[in-house]
Amino acid sequence: MKKAALARSHSLRRQEQWIGYGFILPFTIGFIVFQLAPLLSSVAISLTNLSFISNLSGVKFVGLQNFISMAGDEQFTGALWRTIYYCFLFVPGVIAASLFFAFLINRNLYLRSSIRTAIFMPYVSNMVAIAVVWALLLDVNDGPVNALLRALGVENPPLWLLGEKTAIPSIVMIVVWQNIGFFMIVFLAALQNVPNELYEAAMIDGAGGFAKFRRITLPLISPTTFLLTITAIINSFQNFGPIQVLTKGGPGAASTTLSVNIYQESFVHYRIGYSTAQAIVMFVMILAITVIQWRGQKKWVTYS
Amino acid sequence: MRKIIVTSLAALLGIVNLFPFIFMLSSSFKPLGKIFEYPFRLVPEPFIWDNYKGIFGEQYKFALWYQNSAVMVVLTLALKCAIVSITAYAFARLRFRGRDMIFLLFLAALMLPGDATIIQRYVIYKVLHLTDTVWAIALPAAFDVYFVFLLRQFFLSIPFELTEAAIIDGCGHFRVFYRIILPLAKPALMTMILFSFVWSWNDFTNPFIFITNMDKQMLTVGIAMFQEMKSQNYALQMAASSLALIPVVLLFMFSQQYFIKGIATSGIKG
Repeated sequence: MKKAALARSHSLRRQEQWIGYGFILPFTIGFIVFQLAPLLSSVAISLTNLSFISNLSGVKFVGLQNFISMAGDEQFTGALWRTIYYCFLFVPGVIAASLFFAFLINRNLYLRSSIRTAIFMPYVSNMVAIAVVWALLLDVNDGPVNALLRALGVENPPLWLLGEKTAIPSIVMIVVWQNIGFFMIVFLAALQNVPNELYEAAMIDGAGGFAKFRRITLPLISPTTFLLTITAIINSFQNFGPIQVLTKGGPGAASTTLSVNIYQESFVHYRIGYSTAQAIVMFVMILAITVIQWRGQKKWVTYS
Repeated sequence: MRKIIVTSLAALLGIVNLFPFIFMLSSSFKPLGKIFEYPFRLVPEPFIWDNYKGIFGEQYKFALWYQNSAVMVVLTLALKCAIVSITAYAFARLRFRGRDMIFLLFLAALMLPGDATIIQRYVIYKVLHLTDTVWAIALPAAFDVYFVFLLRQFFLSIPFELTEAAIIDGCGHFRVFYRIILPLAKPALMTMILFSFVWSWNDFTNPFIFITNMDKQMLTVGIAMFQEMKSQNYALQMAASSLALIPVVLLFMFSQQYFIKGIATSGIKG
């Protein structure tokens, strides 16, 4: 009797094995086709001179030539610097703004959920719709923003998206505005986990608002800040969508970052091998940042 | 008193934050010449519907793009629900050799930046004849590692005693999945559906790269193209953009708890 039950459970176990493979099969196929294959083939293609206009027989293995060419390619190095510049504006911007709003909403106030909705709304909105309306708001001659600035006595208001120097900061401003909602919600969750007793104890010790923020809040939410910083850095590299709809990388190449440059190399100049090599550089940079950050984490993150 | 001051400051910032949307909606009911009127008028004077009538006129393809986007989103959601949930079930509640290794491999793909493999994906879709079809957008989106991870977490939290008896009684795993686990996972599925709806509806990059036929195009790219063609007709642009926003804004209004909770408890990616 017992033996029969054991045998039955054994066959059930064997069956479970195959059912398991069966259940994950569709996803695995999709994963291979849509994720693994593009990644692996990009490593191979980055070592060739593949191009959309030449026929396949003209494709040659060129070793690391594509990667070597990048060093002397001003279009690439320029795009690389603009990506880093974008990142340096975006990351502190979105972290500071969302922390500020999380702090504000975490306070004792009326209409909390309505105000939270108002801050969150841009996050679920369509980037193209956002780009269309911001292009009007920031219109150099007639836009309401510059009209307001002129009314305030600014004689030469900025060119915003059309200016060489102001294009990237303007894009970053809009993307920060769009993303505050997401970062704010994560910060809010962290703030609500800070035990109230700590603040009460600090108040008894006579600590002021800023001291409490610096000594209690900041250290206790540092794991969240850290995680969000990584998220923000990685997001900042993936900026093709917003830039393409806002400026197309212009004026000139003033807002052409790596992802926009990769698109132009492949779909405008048809240099597939070369642009793929650039994509790999971008991928490795994102990986490296993740690794460096995880290592550095121990140094300054306080876990309660 | 302090509470009132903080509230008014926060409310003011909230309104400033919403101003682009207010401007968009208000302008979509104004004649072209009144859009840049200074100071800004909230209530259009005169109030007209012509812009909305205009974009649905015969010379534009907005109705078609709207329909394409809707079909794409429905297809994506249906495929994603089916594929992601059954995969998550296997990883959470079945034992098979290599399970954890395979799962880790999937998770590693989360680090893969989508912008970096866009050319290769274009080539692969071209070979599979997916470009210029709705499948180029819907199919890849259905294989979402992130939600396999989240649903697996959720399925793991369902007590195993609940399903063991059914399995011993000879109930197959598919029935256990379909009859017991899925009904319990409604909140998790709801979160996945809502986020996926927003992401798919708002997706610009994928249709921009993989669809070139304007009859097959999605609304987002359509609006961007329209902005280029009619670059001076801001009134029509505002009406078109407002229409693109309406589905997600409505959806969000009625389900914001799911969004807030989804982000706060699991940090769904940005």
